[in-house]
Amino acid sequence: MGWRIRVVHETGYHYNAPVHESYNEVRLTPRSDGHQNVIVNRIETVPATRSYRYEDYWGTQVTAFDLHAPHTELHVTGTSVVETGDEVEPVATATWEDLASEPVRDRYTEMLEFTEYVTKDPALTEVARGIKRANAPVDAVAAACRWVHENMTYQAGTTGVHTSAPEALAAGEGVCQDFVHLSLVLLREMGVPSRYVSGYLLPRKDTAVGETVSGESHAWIEARTGGWWGYDPTNDMRIGERHVWVAVGRDYADVSPIKGIYSGGSAEALDVTVDMTRLA
Amino acid sequence: MDRRPGASRGAPVNRNGVERTADSALFDGYLEPDRPHPDAYDEMFDADGTVRAPYRQLHDAIAPTAAADLTVRSEALDRAYLDQGITFSLSGKERPFPLDIVPRVISSAEWNKLQRGIVQRVKALEAFLADVYGDAQIVRDGVLPRRLITSCEHFKRSAHQLNPPNGVRIHVAGIDLVRDAEGTFRVLEDNLRNPSGVSYVMENRRTMARVFPDLFTRQRVRAVGDYSTHLLHALRVAAAPNVADPTVVVLTPGVYNSAYFEHSLLARQMGVELVEGRDLFCRDNIVYMRTTEGEQRVDVVYRRIDDDFLDPLQFKPTSVLGVAGIMNAARAGNVVIANAVGNGVGDDKLVYTYVPDMIKYYLDEKPVLPNVSTFRCWLDEECGHVIDTLDELVLKPVEGSGGYGILFGPNASRKELADARKSIRADPRGWIAQPVVQLSTVPTRVDDRLVPRHVDLRPFAVNDGENVFVLPGGLTRVALPKGSLVVNSSQGGGSKDTWVLAPNRAPEAERELGQAGLASPIGPVQAPAAEHGPELTIGQQQQQQQQQQGCDD
Repeated sequence: MGWRIRVVHETGYHYNAPVHESYNEVRLTPRSDGHQNVIVNRIETVPATRSYRYEDYWGTQVTAFDLHAPHTELHVTGTSVVETGDEVEPVATATWEDLASEPVRDRYTEMLEFTEYVTKDPALTEVARGIKRANAPVDAVAAACRWVHENMTYQAGTTGVHTSAPEALAAGEGVCQDFVHLSLVLLREMGVPSRYVSGYLLPRKDTAVGETVSGESHAWIEARTGGWWGYDPTNDMRIGERHVWVAVGRDYADVSPIKGIYSGGSAEALDVTVDMTRLA
Repeated sequence: MDRRPGASRGAPVNRNGVERTADSALFDGYLEPDRPHPDAYDEMFDADGTVRAPYRQLHDAIAPTAAADLTVRSEALDRAYLDQGITFSLSGKERPFPLDIVPRVISSAEWNKLQRGIVQRVKALEAFLADVYGDAQIVRDGVLPRRLITSCEHFKRSAHQLNPPNGVRIHVAGIDLVRDAEGTFRVLEDNLRNPSGVSYVMENRRTMARVFPDLFTRQRVRAVGDYSTHLLHALRVAAAPNVADPTVVVLTPGVYNSAYFEHSLLARQMGVELVEGRDLFCRDNIVYMRTTEGEQRVDVVYRRIDDDFLDPLQFKPTSVLGVAGIMNAARAGNVVIANAVGNGVGDDKLVYTYVPDMIKYYLDEKPVLPNVSTFRCWLDEECGHVIDTLDELVLKPVEGSGGYGILFGPNASRKELADARKSIRADPRGWIAQPVVQLSTVPTRVDDRLVPRHVDLRPFAVNDGENVFVLPGGLTRVALPKGSLVVNSSQGGGSKDTWVLAPNRAPEAERELGQAGLASPIGPVQAPAAEHGPELTIGQQQQQQQQQQGCDD
């Protein structure tokens, strides 16, 4: 039995001069599936706006809103209560031959292609070749994630929102976004359909019911070796009751939690907090 | 009806037509055997030098013309364009758009087939776009690989499940046709994004009628002046059903765009506002236009800017040409974007090779108009063939337009061929190759003679959701340099007035009259007045404005 978790994700923008027009899209709404059950989701903004919701190409709930009164601050809060599932078991039914077959390669073509973040790199090609030779697909997924975990140090501040996988590897350190992009390079190099998952991780295993901890916006991968299953390369662990997923896509660009354009002042500060409470 | 135009001018009259050959001074040496591409189909003369039926009257009318007269008339044509300020920029220099004095003629029967083929194609491509931005059933059924669609640069994921109120995505299509050595019309490419050039169709006709009024009195040429009536109708019915009197605007990138003249002409003829991105804004998913009388809600945007610049929230965030939030306004059903976003997936040159399959799949019909045979570099077996025989083929980038990036194998140097092979290997999805099509030729004035020059044809189709209207005519582009097969105006091409002959029993209203009324931008409206009531009124107002403007000049 999983947990019941409340996530409060707040983003605050502060501008140095009034902003007159602002158009935004946020992806902060978890969706129910076999792993999790969403009880409540609410998106609120200050100043208040009228929002519009739709489902994008990847199946993610998007909330769009615009502001036309001058403002120097904008706060966006996404609040969700989610029942999470048990640990996700790897799916081991596919062989390398299955993955190389034309129907599979065509069906999952978007999850096999390289992107501006998930970029081909000769060193990573070598690594992927080695892992593929020694493992069945399901084990290769774990091995690739482990390789990234071992070769990268978790360190915020070194990489940015636009850092590609090879750039992060060169730096040797990064955040979950970089861990995920690197894992995706290895997996796609091996021909395993794989995708970027954004969501939240309740950081401590021993969190008591009723306790609120400062969490984080998180990311992990899903690979398809006969069926989709997730793995968390940043922590080298399986997806379990502490993971809440929100969106999937080819890379970060498909799932970015908040994007917008505005005219007027320029942003001086951006505050992001994620508070997670274990409710049950 | 049975007047012989040549007779009154003293030209040789040949009732059986057999002796009507290229013997006039103007046509001296027209079919000389050592001309480039002698196998090309000449539209006026057959292989024996006999004038083909659709061209007989035209030939009889111009053959006796003195060379000097030809030059004078041709200069008058150029002046007509310069006087109106219609120029286009070639390598940074503003030039009058060269209009040749010899029209291109299409018989009524030929046109019927073209029209059927174009309507069929537009219907199949509409079904394809609806499918691709919906459930992609054609992929599930294995007719097309998914990769074909997802790898297309103009496949816009943000248009997924964005369903226009009346289902139309291709409000305007330009289908490029060529005529091969056998005289068969083939489709060279489809233009479903922002096909331009229709203003030249109308202006060419207006100018020809002014300089050669006599030609139109002899021939039953179908009118092209009512294009804007059809366009406005299609745009109005595209609006959400609960809008009683929809506001339509034309969105232009601005005066520096090479097609700005066309944008302003269409807006003026339709009697709607011509706006730039900064004139529009979205609030709560409704698009408004800033006017001197305050905000005015906009229901349909006929946009002439590319997808990537349309909405900075969804596409290029740096674009200042577009309207932030317009995609979500369209998704919410509050505005219609014409043509729809993401149409480029239907006119990709690789997707083009699958259009005959789409016609079979969606319509269960045989293609009326064949494609030009095409090799697809992304299929290994065809790619090998392209690499081996590149020096006999025309290599084209799948995303290209305007004739840029095209390599003519037979004219290419060794180095160019080697570079091209490298490009193909690096990005097989990015290239297609076609055998050199010997475009058909039509007599074209060069100095004081008429000589064969190669042409293509871009007819325009307007889809209102019920019917696909094909403007009888289209833009005939002509390659002016001797032997050249590249007709793009950006590559030194000119154009011709394109005459579609009316069938013998056509009602009088359908023909071009060659009288004062012809010069008006709005031609006769054929449909019942009830259906076209509002448009007709606008057309009449517009006509008055036009004439006033003429006085000011």
